[in-house]
Amino acid sequence: MFNNFTSLVQKAQTLIDTAGLTASPSKSPSKSTLFQHQFRLPDSESPLYEITSELTLPLPRSGRQPQDANDVSSQLRGNHYVGRLHLSEHYICFSTQGSSFLSTATTSSSSSFTGQTHGTGPSGNGFTLPLCAVRRVERLNSQSFQFSLAITTSNGYRDVDKKQSTNPNPQRLIVQLAGSRQQCERFCDGLKKGLRAAYKDTQNLNKVVGELYSEYHLADTATSDKEGSTTTQRDPPDTGLGAIYRYPGDARKLRDKAKMRLWKEYMRENGRNATIVRQPTFHKLIRVGLPNRLRGEIWELTSGSLFLRFQNPDLYAEMLKEHEGKQSLAIDEIEKDLNRSLPEYPGFQSEEGIGRLRRVLVAYSWLNPEVGYCQAMNIVVAALLIYMSEAQAFFVLSVLCDRMLPGYYSMTMYGTLLDQKVFESLVEGTMPILWDHLVKSDVQLSVVSLPWFLSLYINSMPLIFAYRVLDVFFLEGPKVLFQIGLAILRINGEELLDAADDGTFISVLKTYFSRLDESAHPKSENPKLRAVTRFQELMVVAFKEFSGITQGTISEQRAKHKDAVLENIENFAKRTSIRNLGPDSKRLSLNDLGFLYDRFYGVLYERQQRTQMIQQEMDRKKKSGRIKATEVVSGVSGDEPEMGRVALGPSPTQMDYAAFREFLAGIAKWAVTDSPSSPSSHVDGEKASYFGNSMRSRSLTISPWGAGPEPADHDFMKRLFRKWDVDSVDTLTLQNVVTGLAHMKGTKDIMANISYFFDLYDDDGDGKIDREGILSMSEALLFLSRRGFETPFPAASPQSDARMGSSIEADELRIENRDEQFLSSVSAFIRRCFEYADADHPSKQIDDSTSALSNFGIGEDEEEEEDEDEALIEIDGTSTSTPKPEHASSPPNGASTSETPSDSASSLPRRDPAAANAALDPSNPLSITLPTFRMLVLADETLEHFFDRALANSFRLSDAPAATASSTLTTFANLGRFTPGVGAGPSSPLPSTAGVVPPGKGLRGVLDNIVTDGMRVATDIRRRMDEAQKELDRGAAQEEDEEDEAEPDERTPGGAYGGDADQRSVRAADRDLLEGAETEDVSSTMGKEGLLNAPGGDGKGRTRAGSEEVGEVLF
Amino acid sequence: MAESTGTPTPRPSSSVKLVLLGEAAVGKSSLVMRFVNNDFQENKEPTIGAAFLTQKCNLPNRTIKFEIWDTAGQERFASLAPMYYRNAQAALVVYDITKPQSLTKAQHWVAELQRQASPGIVIALVGNKADLASPGSFPAPGDDADGVEANADAEQDESDARKVPTREAKAYAEEEGLLFYETSAKTGQYVAEVFTAIAHAIPESSLKGPRGVGGQTNLGRDDGARVNLAGPRETGPKEGCAC
Ligand SMILES: Nc1nc2c(ncn2[C@@H]2O[C@H](COP(=O)(O)OP(=O)(O)O)[C@@H](O)[C@H]2O)c(=O)[nH]1
Ligand SMILES: [Mg+2]
Repeated sequence: MFNNFTSLVQKAQTLIDTAGLTASPSKSPSKSTLFQHQFRLPDSESPLYEITSELTLPLPRSGRQPQDANDVSSQLRGNHYVGRLHLSEHYICFSTQGSSFLSTATTSSSSSFTGQTHGTGPSGNGFTLPLCAVRRVERLNSQSFQFSLAITTSNGYRDVDKKQSTNPNPQRLIVQLAGSRQQCERFCDGLKKGLRAAYKDTQNLNKVVGELYSEYHLADTATSDKEGSTTTQRDPPDTGLGAIYRYPGDARKLRDKAKMRLWKEYMRENGRNATIVRQPTFHKLIRVGLPNRLRGEIWELTSGSLFLRFQNPDLYAEMLKEHEGKQSLAIDEIEKDLNRSLPEYPGFQSEEGIGRLRRVLVAYSWLNPEVGYCQAMNIVVAALLIYMSEAQAFFVLSVLCDRMLPGYYSMTMYGTLLDQKVFESLVEGTMPILWDHLVKSDVQLSVVSLPWFLSLYINSMPLIFAYRVLDVFFLEGPKVLFQIGLAILRINGEELLDAADDGTFISVLKTYFSRLDESAHPKSENPKLRAVTRFQELMVVAFKEFSGITQGTISEQRAKHKDAVLENIENFAKRTSIRNLGPDSKRLSLNDLGFLYDRFYGVLYERQQRTQMIQQEMDRKKKSGRIKATEVVSGVSGDEPEMGRVALGPSPTQMDYAAFREFLAGIAKWAVTDSPSSPSSHVDGEKASYFGNSMRSRSLTISPWGAGPEPADHDFMKRLFRKWDVDSVDTLTLQNVVTGLAHMKGTKDIMANISYFFDLYDDDGDGKIDREGILSMSEALLFLSRRGFETPFPAASPQSDARMGSSIEADELRIENRDEQFLSSVSAFIRRCFEYADADHPSKQIDDSTSALSNFGIGEDEEEEEDEDEALIEIDGTSTSTPKPEHASSPPNGASTSETPSDSASSLPRRDPAAANAALDPSNPLSITLPTFRMLVLADETLEHFFDRALANSFRLSDAPAATASSTLTTFANLGRFTPGVGAGPSSPLPSTAGVVPPGKGLRGVLDNIVTDGMRVATDIRRRMDEAQKELDRGAAQEEDEEDEAEPDERTPGGAYGGDADQRSVRAADRDLLEGAETEDVSSTMGKEGLLNAPGGDGKGRTRAGSEEVGEVLF
Repeated sequence: MAESTGTPTPRPSSSVKLVLLGEAAVGKSSLVMRFVNNDFQENKEPTIGAAFLTQKCNLPNRTIKFEIWDTAGQERFASLAPMYYRNAQAALVVYDITKPQSLTKAQHWVAELQRQASPGIVIALVGNKADLASPGSFPAPGDDADGVEANADAEQDESDARKVPTREAKAYAEEEGLLFYETSAKTGQYVAEVFTAIAHAIPESSLKGPRGVGGQTNLGRDDGARVNLAGPRETGPKEGCAC
């Protein structure tokens, strides 16, 4: 990932981690995640209390007689399990996996369940009891050295109430707490509270449990005590399509009846569904394969989806109802695959089966639109539906996508790719010879193994065996997929070593899968060995030989490969996206596009991260440590911090104005603010921004701009944003940005550049820019130039020839000079704008245009520039080019042929004062047209250069000199390199002029002064206009005008001043403005008008502070 | 059965990894089905990631065994594509002549392959569902083999579902140095030709050593006329092996 983001996250994590350690409330959320994963509980649960304890269960078949609970000896007979008792909001859980979720517990002790589980899965032996399923809790033998609880569950309880005879033996769990009296009492208090609160959940529980087959099955045989009695009052619950269309496989061969009997017995003694207690037999019964009617229910139980269903029993029906009749892409995709999901199963050849499949997939696509629908889900859900109801399958699917197969079915399928990488690396580690062979023969393992994981072996193995894998998978978790995969390769190792290409490799495995039911040792003498099927052998190899592969192993491996996998996906996404940018993008180089892509998404991503980090920091008590916890559990932090990363799925693609500013600040140094707010200050300036509430970030305590420079907020940037926002949606896509930049940077045509700039200010698109626009334009020119340009300007200054004694000094001089040059050009521009503007009055306009035409009807300019185009001819009625100082053109009025003007403007004819006056007269609306604008720009060498190259080059993309070192297609990963102040040299993180000015040299101050001066020129003009307005208002217009006119006249080129006198005079005049009363005047004007923004664009008061600001500006 | 043409001496055989790419529903699986089984039917096989099939193709002087990876359709599976085109010696990039967008997508795939796949990869651009174009727009069976080019003018037909002019796609293919065909998996039109052309275009040097010998399908160029017949075409033993 990009460097500065990584550091951000690290910072966030340390913040969070230390927070979690120091502030230790009774519950620590990072432990919550772990707790939820161990017991497969919903996200709402957190470990409130825990205590070491011993669970005592009656010996099988010994509990037939009512036992005296207070009889210690009866307690001693039975199975004892030492472990930990946990209490959460809605559950009381016991597990022999002694994980501790106390806030003081180490990570390894709170994640011990991810290690070896010896076939019991993470929750070990014990129980996971919803509190609402607890009927009674008694305190037993209150001797001081023992603290025992007898928990009576709802299982069988009701029976006692209603039909005294049938089940005399309500389920009672005896737990002896081992802790200080105080600990025990605190636990009990918590339990009491929980029980009281849980009462209201009983209805949900009964509703859900009532739909379970175990309930029906046990109750049924209980009521009809005698065998053969067929007094089944109620319909059996929905146990999937199998109940209608037969379950796959031969029930007799699968010994389904026997399994059913064993389960029945087990459940009679150990409770059923919600109240079931897990003893070793439970896990063994799962290992040998679940019976048809109970399969769905046990899956639900072991995966934890049952608990989700308790929480919200009607969610499935609601999802369907809420979205009834709606259409979506997911629905279209689902529809295409309905007929291709286990098509050989009769249930899916009927509308009934297809209908169920459709409903579950559609409901889930609404529940989780980020995943929507992914091929392979159809197969998984189809397989589930053979054994469970729609609602059950819906919740199992949800658990699969969220927890067991994180990222498998996501938009980028990063989880799938990641686990393939993990699998390959496990193969490499456990079967190095096979791995070498694969590498040598150029066979990519994942093309073979990907479907195994993505569809949980359902499409690879015969169904009955795939279900056996699923049985264990739901109990033990995703590591099972890896263990089975490794075992498959191990068993077929020799044959695979002979396979030298994809084809042979695949066919070896295909053959193997088709013969799973055959004997693993057909030639063995030993009949027992002969009876072992290949599938049994597979299970043994998987769970014995690869017992070392634990959930912890997988998480570790995932964490290790995550970055590489995400980066690959991101590179792929990037290539694809760049190719999709359309014809305009071709104007930019591939490197530039890559850079823009990174920069664009980088900004969006970082902003999202920052918002989240800040959010997290704000409620760190609630969320602390979650990131880390999920990583321990899954190896992928599925939590917020990485959301928005392209490879992880849908991420923001729209850039609002605030983000755009940040984006610009990274690629153009003029977009960096001059007055950064101090990092810790409370920033909500955005709220006042032009785009109102477009800002997503909140008030921040961390710099809202992250590690990058703080962007300016200038009218020019707003205009750029609006111009690029072609759909007027107040946000930009990458496409918008690329197209926009392609027009500004990708064209080598100065005319196009000039008109593009003009259009930015032609608000109503009528081809004219009014007085306000002219001023805004001038401000923009100063704004853009205030840090100088990368591209050297044509050396028109004497200083440029200066011998460089001390290079820095020379540089400074040069820069100063260059900026002065620009400044004077802009002031001249403003002045000329008003001189040559067309009054916005019909008759006047004609006059003006004719006079302009006659004035500019010069045909004899010698220099034909390459940029010459017809457009120019249109304007002037002739081809003119930028008059160079050396080549004084002859003004048609013949006024001053003998002049030696150094200012290019001198080559322009003067208007008669009256016209200029009219232009300045605020009561006389005026505007300049594109041709006029062009003429004015081309009349000035500096401006010409600005539009020819400097403006375009002020956007620094990948091909900029500073970045050439890494101008191969940049990736997300190396983006960080560019972020801190692209305009600045690599060594200087601060935006500084042309990267040559060492910070602290004070040069910035000089520049600021100059820029401020420029601003003052604009202000001055505005002031004079205002004065003129006032004069008019006073009805004393005519005579006074001369006074106003005097100053411009003074400086008008072609007057008595030669050489660079004009420049000097401008500066002199401007300097005047800086001093004394005038300054007051200016700033007060500004204050009143609020129109002229200082370089930083921060509005009022900036200008006044201009010169004192020097120290501050340097951060 | 297969016309083993009685060639007594077994030709050298080499396998070629070929990947099919293209937008969903352009007919990739159908093309493979036609090539491997000479069959056209709704695809009932769910494809997870990619389906793997093989088919042999006899050239005058050698036999090419295609190992075909038919990638899955859904857009999100695109990020798995690199896994399948890695080391591929040939690629069929398919679009649907009735869907201009699918050609754009195909162009992206071409760019992706040119940039990311093995350097010498032979790419064929295939416009499928040519049977949906009006007869004038597609060479009728028995037409001159040059027909593919001849149809360029007849694009205005009323009943014509064609939206991508042959000329346009062909120009693009030429520019990029791709083989180009318009096919119909439904009628079998030019399907075998595509594969044969690819077999011919694979540089001898990039062929891996011989791998296993198996049934043969005579798909030599000379058989082009037979392929154009609408009736069932005889094929060699089906070596297809779906996974
Ligand atoms: N008319 C016509 N339909 C075709 C042709 N090839 C495929 N199809 C149909 O297009 C749809 C998608 O085909 P499929 O092979 O699954 O496309 P894939 O997603 O690219 O593999 C199916 O309904 C096919 O019957 C063809 O050449 N002509
Ligand atoms: Mg397909």
